[in-house]
Amino acid sequence: MKFRVERELLTEALSAAARVASNRNNAMPALSGVHMSVKGDSLVLTCTDNDLSVRSTLSVGGARDGVAVVSAKLISDIVRSMPEEKVTVDAQGDDVMVSAGKSQFTVPTFAATDFPNILVAGTQPVAISAKVFGEALGQVVRASSSDMQRLALTGVLMVAEPNSVCLVATDSYRLAVRELPGATMLGHGAEIVVPGRALSELERMIGAAETMTMALGENRATFEVGGATLTTTLLNVEFPKYRQLISAHYPNKVTTAREPLLEAVRRSRILARETTPVRLEMSSNLIRLSVITQDIGQVVDELDAKLDGSEITVGFNSQYLMDGIDAVKGDEITIESTDPVKPAVLRGVGDKNYLYLVMPQRLTS
Amino acid sequence: MRVLIASCSVTYEGRLGASLPRATRLIMIKADGCLAIHSDGGAYKPLNWMNAPNTIEESRDRIIVRNPKNETLTIDIFEVLTDFSHEMGDDPGLSKDGVEADLQILLAAMPESIEPGLTLIRREYPTAVGPVDLLCRDASGQTVAVEIKRRGEIDGVEQLTRYLDCLHADTALGKVRGIFVAQSIKPQARVLAESRDIGWCEVDYDALRGKRPDELKLF
Repeated sequence: MKFRVERELLTEALSAAARVASNRNNAMPALSGVHMSVKGDSLVLTCTDNDLSVRSTLSVGGARDGVAVVSAKLISDIVRSMPEEKVTVDAQGDDVMVSAGKSQFTVPTFAATDFPNILVAGTQPVAISAKVFGEALGQVVRASSSDMQRLALTGVLMVAEPNSVCLVATDSYRLAVRELPGATMLGHGAEIVVPGRALSELERMIGAAETMTMALGENRATFEVGGATLTTTLLNVEFPKYRQLISAHYPNKVTTAREPLLEAVRRSRILARETTPVRLEMSSNLIRLSVITQDIGQVVDELDAKLDGSEITVGFNSQYLMDGIDAVKGDEITIESTDPVKPAVLRGVGDKNYLYLVMPQRLTS
Repeated sequence: MRVLIASCSVTYEGRLGASLPRATRLIMIKADGCLAIHSDGGAYKPLNWMNAPNTIEESRDRIIVRNPKNETLTIDIFEVLTDFSHEMGDDPGLSKDGVEADLQILLAAMPESIEPGLTLIRREYPTAVGPVDLLCRDASGQTVAVEIKRRGEIDGVEQLTRYLDCLHADTALGKVRGIFVAQSIKPQARVLAESRDIGWCEVDYDALRGKRPDELKLF
């Protein structure tokens, strides 16, 4: 196997491979590798950790057909560090040589036969708007958890509603719900939980793509976008009953400009520590945002706002609040609340398709 | 800790399938139920492992380890070369300066975690025998010197006692009392602290870092 390709193209593809390749590789070293297959002028890169697989195709200058499996992290780092724009990768015997200009690396390969076969979801793929789906992932995946002790929370629920599909994620501190009106990628009543890690990788793959497809199998989902395919096993878990967390009515609703609020929270984080809440005092025409961190300092910011309901002061984790304001679309945002210890809801004014529910943090006097 | 050196093969079934062919390996079965399988090389990760909680079934030639996620590690034993157990006792843990420093930062931000109504006057308050970790004021206005350790032992109480002797000489602070704070405090250190009218308090590092049990959650 031998090919020559633009360094930047290969670097980008190998970075994705290195993220997917297994870190827990002692029992099956090939899982830490990237499978490279050249046929003509086409290079197919495949990586898997047995739960998540990514396959991407690149146009290269193919010199010799063949396959090789080499450490994904190693070759990713090597190609990124190369001094020239064109990189040559040449597999001979048990080694792969990576060269550019006068630099040459030689690294050992794994046995290609040890690399597992990649299974994809076998059903008919459904075309979906990559732009809309990618935007929805950006709004929802951020609320999923990375705590493997609570496996269900590491996933994103995709559930078919009568005329839409809902994406839902929660880490028990916040909940993000995005509705995709008219989406048909799930059959009637279908409900799946897709690992957040896979969807996060998918969001990167989507980038600026316009179209993509999704296919569902019994226990896996396959997404195709551009020249790349991502297959993930689905989580066999019971997702928390989230609907009961969202009230139909909140007595207090404050409306303010989204971007200035986001900037104010971002500024406040200079002083906020992990446990320091951002305090929002919401009054009739003002939101007063403050952070007081003992021995560090304090910050106060004021924003014009309109309040329907009673004046209320609520504390939030600054990161969770910032994530929510950032995920909401539109120029104006509403924060609806009941009391300082019940969840608040963030929505974009005029946007019925997304909500971000966040639990307050207790305020000490 | 049980240490078993045996000729064995290993099969793992769970999130993926994996197997280790027959070879001589070191199997460690730890008191908390964790199990690790090592070869004679490398100082980093075991070849395979199962974190507690586990259920371990053992017969003459087979050990089966299961965890609550239904992952299973099956060790087929062909020949036992060494098999012994040793009581390891309490682990003093890896000493890391950063933990104490982090604890000090967290407690400075949340002195009420030590005692309700406590407010910070200054971190690293200087005295002639070294800086006191935290100088605080309690709800009644009395000055409180706080010494923070990762593990609370007699030495820490002695150190706080020296600080208090210095601080008592500073009339501007008024009457000063001490609180000895650590993630865990040895019984001997508690007794010594109490005998000197020094308070003590155990704090939860993870809770202070934001995983407080009283924090508000959706479910």
